[in-house]
Amino acid sequence: MSLPGLSLPGLGLSQPSSSHSALGPGTSSNSQSTRTEELGARTEWRFEVNFHQQYHVRLLSGNAEIFGVELALNQRYSFSGAKGVIFTWHGCQLELSGDAESEYAGLETEYAVEWLNVHGMLESARDLAHGTNDGGPRVLVVGPESVGKSSLVRSLAGWSVKCGRTPAIVNVDPREGLLAPPGSFTAVTVGSQLDVENGYGIAPISGPTVTPIKTPLIYHCPYSSPTERPDVYKALITRTALSVLNRMEEDKVSKESGLMIDTPGLLNDPKSNYDMIAHLVSEFSITLILTLGSERLYNDLNRRFGPKQAASAEGEGIPVLRVSKPGGAVERDAGFLKQLANQQIRQYFFGTSKEPLNPHSHICGFAELSVYRANSATLAAAASSYTKDEDEDDSPYTAPKASADDFEKMTPTNAMLGRLVAIKYCDGDSDDFTIRDSAVMGFLYVSEVDEQKKRVRFLAPHPQRWGDKALVWGGCPEAVTDLVG
Amino acid sequence: MSARSPRGSLSGASSAEVAEDFGDSLRDLQINNRYEISNLTVIAKENTEHAQAISKVLEEHIGMTSPSKKLPALYLLDSIVKNVGTPYTVYLGRNLYNTFMQAYTLVDSNVRKSMEGMLKTWKEPVPGSMDPRPVFPPETVRPIENALIKAKTVAMQSHRPIAPDYRNTPTPPNYANRFAPPPTHTPPQPYQNFQPGFQSLPNAPTPQSTYYQHTPQQPPPNNELDAVKREVSGLIVQRQAQYDANRHDQRLGGELKALLDLQQLLNAGQYIDPASLQQIRDRVSGLANGPSAQLRPTPQPGTPQWQPSPSFPQEASQFVRPAAPYSQPPPGQQPPAALLAPGALDGLQALLANGQKPGTPQIRATAPALQSASHAQLSNVQNQAAAAPQFNGADLIASLTRNGLLPKSQRQPPPHPQPTPVPNSSTLPFQPSADLLRSLSSILPPTSQTGTPTFPAINLPPTTSKPRIPMTAAALKQFRPELVTTLYEAQPNQCSTCGRRFLSTDEGRTKKARHLDWHFRTNQRIADPAISRGAHRDWYPTEIDWVRLKDYDPSTTTAEEASALAAASNSQFSSPTKGKAHKRPEEMYVRAPPGVTRNTCSICFEEMKSAYAEELQEWVFWNARLAQGKIVHATCLAEMAKSGGAAGLGAGQRQRSATPESSLGKRKADGVGLGGGGGSKLRME
Ligand SMILES: [Zn+2]
Ligand SMILES: [Zn+2]
Repeated sequence: MSLPGLSLPGLGLSQPSSSHSALGPGTSSNSQSTRTEELGARTEWRFEVNFHQQYHVRLLSGNAEIFGVELALNQRYSFSGAKGVIFTWHGCQLELSGDAESEYAGLETEYAVEWLNVHGMLESARDLAHGTNDGGPRVLVVGPESVGKSSLVRSLAGWSVKCGRTPAIVNVDPREGLLAPPGSFTAVTVGSQLDVENGYGIAPISGPTVTPIKTPLIYHCPYSSPTERPDVYKALITRTALSVLNRMEEDKVSKESGLMIDTPGLLNDPKSNYDMIAHLVSEFSITLILTLGSERLYNDLNRRFGPKQAASAEGEGIPVLRVSKPGGAVERDAGFLKQLANQQIRQYFFGTSKEPLNPHSHICGFAELSVYRANSATLAAAASSYTKDEDEDDSPYTAPKASADDFEKMTPTNAMLGRLVAIKYCDGDSDDFTIRDSAVMGFLYVSEVDEQKKRVRFLAPHPQRWGDKALVWGGCPEAVTDLVG
Repeated sequence: MSARSPRGSLSGASSAEVAEDFGDSLRDLQINNRYEISNLTVIAKENTEHAQAISKVLEEHIGMTSPSKKLPALYLLDSIVKNVGTPYTVYLGRNLYNTFMQAYTLVDSNVRKSMEGMLKTWKEPVPGSMDPRPVFPPETVRPIENALIKAKTVAMQSHRPIAPDYRNTPTPPNYANRFAPPPTHTPPQPYQNFQPGFQSLPNAPTPQSTYYQHTPQQPPPNNELDAVKREVSGLIVQRQAQYDANRHDQRLGGELKALLDLQQLLNAGQYIDPASLQQIRDRVSGLANGPSAQLRPTPQPGTPQWQPSPSFPQEASQFVRPAAPYSQPPPGQQPPAALLAPGALDGLQALLANGQKPGTPQIRATAPALQSASHAQLSNVQNQAAAAPQFNGADLIASLTRNGLLPKSQRQPPPHPQPTPVPNSSTLPFQPSADLLRSLSSILPPTSQTGTPTFPAINLPPTTSKPRIPMTAAALKQFRPELVTTLYEAQPNQCSTCGRRFLSTDEGRTKKARHLDWHFRTNQRIADPAISRGAHRDWYPTEIDWVRLKDYDPSTTTAEEASALAAASNSQFSSPTKGKAHKRPEEMYVRAPPGVTRNTCSICFEEMKSAYAEELQEWVFWNARLAQGKIVHATCLAEMAKSGGAAGLGAGQRQRSATPESSLGKRKADGVGLGGGGGSKLRME
């Protein structure tokens, strides 16, 4: 806030602490001017930056963190296409510049105390697990859309890393990638510094990285909603859990640190009797369920999984806690999610300004390719496994069956244009089960299909060809038209 | 530019107006805030024509403001005289004696120490300055020093520490005006005197780059004492720089304080017998050899003006309350790491000495280091403590040793002076805190008990200091500052680049050093277009590779550890051929034959230049391999192999590509340790 006239810093003419009271939620700030904000202890600074804006934050004094990742003093952090919350436990002074849709101080931060207490609970559980073979806490985070599930998981991850842990983070929300473009399930152990701007940082690249790389295991979930193909979704969860639990047996540090699972809001589905949540609980041997936002969800889950149900199929019962959603949790509309998806896809190929990447162009004849389309929606298979009465409790889980038409082998067509195609770690002529369950080697972007000359031009992240591997695409993510050119 | 940073000039304003504005903002200077102090310093600098008025306002403010705000104001004075210099040194020098001494009599012992430290620096040139003159002329500083020495002598004769700070004792009349010390929670950028503050805000300077070279003003020492003094003041400057870079490092702070105390002792002009002097000297050399060597200034026999450990009163007040098992330090008072800080065991000693027999939980709570000691062991210690009429530090040590809580080897008999300085060895007469501390650190559980010996140890804050929180809804709501402490204060050693924190233990310091080195190497590689320009994304790992992957933090892992881990996980996820590790072509190198600095790639016919690789201590050609006895670009060779040896080799068509090259063995992790990331620390020919 530049002051008119005699602008003498620190001489009582400018009181930054009073200035943000004028900036209510939704206030648009277009000025490029730099301003400072004083935040009291246990308050936060919320901002929404659209994808065309650049917003910069610098910590001038005090301590501050963004989703569990601490800001360094006097470093400039930049945000674009972000809804961020900078929280301070001790109070701080921030310098802000650039543009934001809105920015304001949040004083209702009781949620943060709860979240930190959850972290304390996890730490206690890890300490208890130390020296045993039980493993650390395995946490499932559920709740409706836009209640801060991802923020909670990120905060818990950030704090855990700060305490020297290496927790596994699992994302089963295909609409928003984690260290991967959308259309992915991610499992990653996090044992090094997270990134203030990019959260989990960056997956392996060939060059140096600003933040230590994180190496995720990626599965392909080409459906934007678990309800499209609950059977496939379940199978992917089973597969992910298998790998994660195997990993933890190999890595005691990680096992003791436990795991945290971020989920899509669509799992909050009483009509299915929380079928998918039950599946996650059982496949990952969940030891703590955190619900955000919905009181009914909490009540239902507590009744079903909570400790009182000692005789339930899940065994002795699992603590179910309802934690507050952050005051700054904002609805992320379809438009925002779409832009976020585009940004993630772009960054997969081109990196960020800090770590720019060179994608490579590959032209392949149709004959060289084994392309499969993942069929989704409206399939009878989906309906049959998905019509349970709400009152029906604890129906035994039945292993999902892959039907022959899960993955349909196809000749490349123009319909693939702008789509992301997953390269699977399996041969091009594998059966449906193998194709469904195989991990992802990487993603290709279809930049051109020439049906006449029978060839496809791909944008690839890596100069090396992938050999004869199954290529799969589906409804998620949607086509991106402006990635190249 | 911040709205609060200096923009407007006051030229045109009257001195009275300037002074009034300056005075207004002085009143806002509540705490030791480097930012505010820098701002005010800049204002003073830009208004030197009003220096007299500003100086007057500042003096008046120091005199009038409450004791808790005097130190920040004095820091401002310090900052102005060091960063601006004349004419402020002239105006502020005139009344310096009154300004300083009036404040000194009203503040508590901690602030006094800070003031004494500040006074020291006024006798020396501004660190890093070309001007060899001291900040204030000797005739200004000396009267203050004399007054302080006199005051201490008086205090000594009355067998009373000059500034006792026992909170639970009635306030002596002399100190009736005493206020609580400045809040312990200040923003982490307090203004530090001794440093030209505002122009060296963090960011660029790494600790290494901010060391000030101590250039002695004095002629070569003509005796032992001078040599020691010189060494001490050199160390002070060095420690100050380190401490500035790691303001949360309590050990550094403690060392610095100890050095300042030692300097004061040496400067006090008292006779120090040669044996003691030699001991001091050894200790100082030991400290100089290891930047993190533990030192606690030690009272010399016959020099009783040393004050009790400043942290003792706080500890003592903690013990007055009945300590519950696993009780936590009160919010913000003592971060867990501080319990291992100098003085921590004074508390245990005090607990044992105060007559009543403490319970095991109390002992455990008092000294978390003993958390894992058995009840029987602690019980014996208590009994022995109770039996001894005067239970002193030596007895405590002995008792702990007898009961197997301290390894015997840690104990050395009160020593003869040792000619060879050994950091961390006890060469000074017996000193409870330091020795006990050292000994205890050896019985602490290792900070990492991961069960995977090859895995580098982890920054775990001591587990004993953490609260146990049940997974219940009732436990959710209550704010637990100790959890914040584990994330912040308990890890005081922060990286200024990425904000990552480290413990203030030796291990933490080692990790931080590695971590800073990692930043350095990474940034160099990022800045090197040959390395970063052609970067591309790696393939994701296969399931089996990922399951076997040993996750580690490359920024704190040594090359040896990293390659051990890489071997253990045997994974090369950037290659679809699993299990085959390889170096990227860009990271391959060929040692340059003697005398050969240039070479032409026989594939693309471009010139290659050798470069010196510091990790290898050799001149090498990067991105190079030997093909039929000739040095060629590794990328060219890879291209050729990929395309069957013929196509795509037109000049300039070279692509960066990675092909499986198992012959070179495992690829070391990016930028890890020595020799890991090829191309780092390159110095082009
Ligand atoms: Zn760092
Ligand atoms: Zn070449």
